[in-house]
Amino acid sequence: MLKNLTIEGTAKLLKDKKISAFEIANSYIKEIKESKKLNCFITISEEVAFDAAKKTDARISENKKIGLLDGVPLAYKDLFCTNNILTTASSKILSNFTPTYESTVTANCKSQGAVVLGKLNCDEFAMGSTNKTSFYGPVINPWKSSDKDDELVPGGSSGGSAAAVAADLCVASLGTDTGGSIRQPASFTGLVGLKPTYGRVSRWGTVAFASSLDQAGPISKTVEDAAILLEAISGHDNKDSTSSLKANEQFYANLNSSVKGLKIGVPKEYMSDDLPEEIQNFWNDGKKILAKNGAEIVEISLPSTSTALPAYYIIAPAEASSNLSRYDGVKYGLRVQEKNLIDMYESTRSEGFGNEVKRRIMIGTYVLSSGYYDAYYIKAQKIRSIIKNDFDSAFKNVDAIFTPATPNTAFPINREEVDPVQNYLNDIFTVPANLAGLPAISIPFGLDNSGLPIGMQLITNSFEEQMLLNIAKNLQDTLNFNVQPTQWWK
Amino acid sequence: MEFDKNSTLKLAKLARLSLNDEQLDSLEKDLTSIVSFIDQLKEINTEKIDPTSNSLNQDLILRDDIAENKLSNEDLLRNVPDSELGFFVVPKVIE
Repeated sequence: MLKNLTIEGTAKLLKDKKISAFEIANSYIKEIKESKKLNCFITISEEVAFDAAKKTDARISENKKIGLLDGVPLAYKDLFCTNNILTTASSKILSNFTPTYESTVTANCKSQGAVVLGKLNCDEFAMGSTNKTSFYGPVINPWKSSDKDDELVPGGSSGGSAAAVAADLCVASLGTDTGGSIRQPASFTGLVGLKPTYGRVSRWGTVAFASSLDQAGPISKTVEDAAILLEAISGHDNKDSTSSLKANEQFYANLNSSVKGLKIGVPKEYMSDDLPEEIQNFWNDGKKILAKNGAEIVEISLPSTSTALPAYYIIAPAEASSNLSRYDGVKYGLRVQEKNLIDMYESTRSEGFGNEVKRRIMIGTYVLSSGYYDAYYIKAQKIRSIIKNDFDSAFKNVDAIFTPATPNTAFPINREEVDPVQNYLNDIFTVPANLAGLPAISIPFGLDNSGLPIGMQLITNSFEEQMLLNIAKNLQDTLNFNVQPTQWWK
Repeated sequence: MEFDKNSTLKLAKLARLSLNDEQLDSLEKDLTSIVSFIDQLKEINTEKIDPTSNSLNQDLILRDDIAENKLSNEDLLRNVPDSELGFFVVPKVIE
C-alpha cells in the first residue's frame, strides 16, 4: 500500500482516511532505518516527524481542511537550517551545529503540515557532482548497472535528496541547485528535478554556496509533485534581498499538458559527437514526441555555450570563498583551539573543510585577489551577460529549450580519481541556466542498455515555470516512465 | 599560471588555511589545471559588455530599518564553542 507514494497519492489516502499520517511516517522511518547502507540520511528526525504526523491526524479527525502537503513525509538536503535539528552542510566544520531558526523554505513546508523525516547527505557545502565530497561519506545510488555490480554515485550535490526519493525513503525531497545540483542527481536516479528561476525561492536560512546562483527546488517522482512543492516553497521573502516581488502562482492547479503551437528550441552547440549514443537517441525521441504532440521543433544557437563552464568556475568559487569566510570557529561550528586568533582561524578551517571545499576557496581567493579581480571575476560576470543575452535572443523565437540533462549516466563510486576539471564537465548542460537565472527541469526519459536512468532537460524564460511544468508533464504522460530500482540494499 | 609552493602558500595564507606538504603538492597541481581551464576566457572580447552580478532583473530590496528581537542571547550562544557572561570568547587579540 505504501509503495512508491507520490504527494498527490498520499494526500488522497489521508483525505479518504485510508491510513493515518502517523502510520505513513512510521512506515517511512522504518524503511530509512533498514536502508542505512545507501547513506542517504545524516540525521533522522523521528520525533519531530511523529509529532507533525499526529498533528495532521488531529486536523483530519476534527474534519479540518487539509492541504496537499499535510502529513506528507518529506526530507531536506542538509543545507537547509532546521530549528532544533542538526544541520551540517555535510561538513565537519558544521558537524555540531543545531540551528535556533528555520529556513524560509522549510518553514513554508512546515506551516503546510509537511512531515520532515530527516536531513539528507550531500556534497560538502554543495560542492560536487558525485556526493563523494561529503564528510559523512558517499551516498550510494539505488540504481545498479545490469551488467556490473559496482556501487554507483547518485550524482550531486543533492545526492541524498535524489537517492532517498529513488529508494522510496521519502515521498519527495528538497535540494539546492547552484550549477546542476538538483537536475544532475535527479537524472542519475530516474526522477524529476526542478531548479526555479533565481529569486523565485527565498535563500534565507539555506547555507550559502554561491549566492548569485543558488536556488532551492524539489526532487520528486512526478511533475505534479514538483508543481505542488514549487508552489509550497515559492514567494517573496523580505529576509532575502534578491527575493522576487512577483506573486506566487498556482502551479499545480494550472498544470496543463498541452504543447500545441509551442516552439521548442534545440541548441546546436549542445550536439556533440562525444555525447553517448543512447543519450543522443533519447534526445531525438523527445524531439519526435514533442513534434507529434503538436509542438514545433526548431534548431537554435546559443553561441557562447562553451564559455559557461569556465565562467561558472570563476563566479561560484569566488562567491563561495567569500561566503565560507564566516567559518572561523568563533560563533558556531568546529573550533580548533590555538594560542592566537589567526592560528585558531587557520587550524579550524584546515581541520573543518574537506579537499574540494579547500580547492574552491583557494580558486575563489585567487580570482578575487588584488590584481586578478578584473581579469577573472569581472570578466566572468561580463561573460555571464553574454550568456544571458544568448538566452534572451533565443526566447524571442522559442518558448522553451530542450537538451540532455547530463553528458553521462551514473558512474562507479570508486572510479579512479580524475582531474578536478574532468569532474566539472559533469555540469556542462546544467550550468548555463544558473548563470542566466532561468528555470530548468530534468525529466526521466528511460534506461540505457545497462539499465541506468537517463534524463532530459527543459529550460524556459525567467518566471515561466508554469510552461516548464506543462511541457514536462506532456513528456511524462507520453513516455509513461515508471520503473523503480530493485531493492538490493535491504 | 603555474602554481608553485610559494604562490600556493601565499594564497593559503590569504584564505586562512594551513596546508600540509601532501595537500600543498596536490593543490599546486589542481590549481594549475583549474586556472588553465578558466584562462580560456581571456580569448573572448568583452570590451563593451557590462557585468551581470545576478540575473534577477530587479533592484535589491531593503527592509525598513525596524529593530527586531527574534533570537535571544541564549539562542545566539547555543552553538558557540566558548562563551562567558553572554559574550563570545576568542584567544587574546591585543597583547
